[in-house]
Amino acid sequence: MRVLIAEDEPALARQLADSLGQAGYAVDAAGDGARAEFLGQTETYDAVVLDLGLPGMDGLTVLRRWREAGMAAPVLVLTARGSWHEKVQGIDGGADDYVSKPFRMEEVLARLRALIRRSSGQVQPELRAGDVTLDPRGARVMRGDTPVKLTSHEFRVLSYLMHQRGRVVSQAELTEHIYAQDYDRDSNTVEVFIARLRRKVGPGVIETVRGLGYRVAAE
Amino acid sequence: MRSLRARLLVGGLLWTLGLVLVTEVVVRQLSQRGVPGIRIHYGAMSILAIGLLATGLTFAHIGLSPVGRLRARLAAVRSGQDARVAGHYPTEVQSLVDDLNALLDDREKSIARAQAHAGNLAHGLKTPLAVLAQEASRATDPALGSAITQQVERMRRQMDYHLAHARAAASGSVLGTRCQVAESVEPLIRTLQRLYADRSLSFESALLLDHAVRCQREDLDEMLGNLLDNACQWARSRVSVASSVEHTSVRIVVEDDGPGIPVELRETVLQRGVRADESAAGSGLGLAIVRDLAGLYGGSIELGASPLGGLRATLKLPAA
Repeated sequence: MRVLIAEDEPALARQLADSLGQAGYAVDAAGDGARAEFLGQTETYDAVVLDLGLPGMDGLTVLRRWREAGMAAPVLVLTARGSWHEKVQGIDGGADDYVSKPFRMEEVLARLRALIRRSSGQVQPELRAGDVTLDPRGARVMRGDTPVKLTSHEFRVLSYLMHQRGRVVSQAELTEHIYAQDYDRDSNTVEVFIARLRRKVGPGVIETVRGLGYRVAAE
Repeated sequence: MRSLRARLLVGGLLWTLGLVLVTEVVVRQLSQRGVPGIRIHYGAMSILAIGLLATGLTFAHIGLSPVGRLRARLAAVRSGQDARVAGHYPTEVQSLVDDLNALLDDREKSIARAQAHAGNLAHGLKTPLAVLAQEASRATDPALGSAITQQVERMRRQMDYHLAHARAAASGSVLGTRCQVAESVEPLIRTLQRLYADRSLSFESALLLDHAVRCQREDLDEMLGNLLDNACQWARSRVSVASSVEHTSVRIVVEDDGPGIPVELRETVLQRGVRADESAAGSGLGLAIVRDLAGLYGGSIELGASPLGGLRATLKLPAA
């Protein structure tokens, strides 16, 4: 799962990036409106954390432009201006949820998880495939009753495939959702992660659909 | 002499008296010298005199009527019906009216500036507070961390509370504010449906388009947003909002089918202001803000039991 953070206060952006990184997300950051607009329109994200008070171009304008350009990722708005009048403007501008500053990090993480779950059509907070359970709340994976240790990239691959359960995901799509933008993508290929995941969670969970990509079967 | 009308009348009388004396002197002089040919037609003269007198009085009356109109217009501005003194007046009065309107402009601008500064102060502090809160949650000393977290939460409540007040205190005096209830409720319901998308709540609204209140849009949004949000938080599945007119006020009733609030706690919930530091984030403060905002606009809020099973909040605001 890949997330964009658009926040101009460097300390807060770093704290958000750290916490989201620990929760298993690949994170890109934008410090101003123009950069946020560009990244949101050119890269693929599973969710966005958007501060409305961005310099250059304000967050609401960025959001409207994204939506006009057809960007569909769920957007969690982060703002110091938390009046209802402003919340209405944010939601009407295309936001999906709202957190007022100052906030608790757990709240941001919980809402982000809920947004991603909702946008991928999942109802239960825990994702299951066969005897494998993935809990996005603690970035934990269990096989039966035994915890499985995964690297952050392996976790993202499995998490994305399980969120898209039942659908074939191409290698290119997978690549877009597991790497942050500045990451050197050639050094680790998706095949390697899939092979390692199959060793750790069992061979039956991830199917290869020849010529198309990978799939975690629906129940 | 305090009355303008009396001054004009006395002035007119003295002027007429002077004229009569002058005429008398001239007529006597002329008749002494025996100028021939002056014949006075008494009938025509008296009709003309009465006509002139009546016209003069009417003019004096009409001349003063703009003052009465100005008073009515000023009353409308004061009550919030009009934003500015409207209408055309005689030259002398018009310049006064223009000055008055310019004064209202200035006042509105300085209120808006003060409001913007209060807002900037609060919002400028919130991002550093957010940073502080995150640092506190990672502090190696958990006691220190929780102490800072608690104080950050106190500061947040203080800012939210006083910001809402600063805005309302200023806008309560911004003139000519009228807002339709439905125009505020519909976007709020749209917003809450998105924010509570997980909950599959059903919203029922019974609002008439012509129900309008004397209130700033932002403040009406804040009051109804807090009431509806509170209803959504506690509702099992249904939230309803209805409006009705009662004498000179509009009643807006927000209800839910949640657990409600016991009778003995209702007043406490409304009283809970900035001092309720120990309560969890976001709880209670919303209703206290609604109470204070309603009070600033000369309205009120009442909590009761809803036939749906949960809380029934009745907000009364002056009709516009």
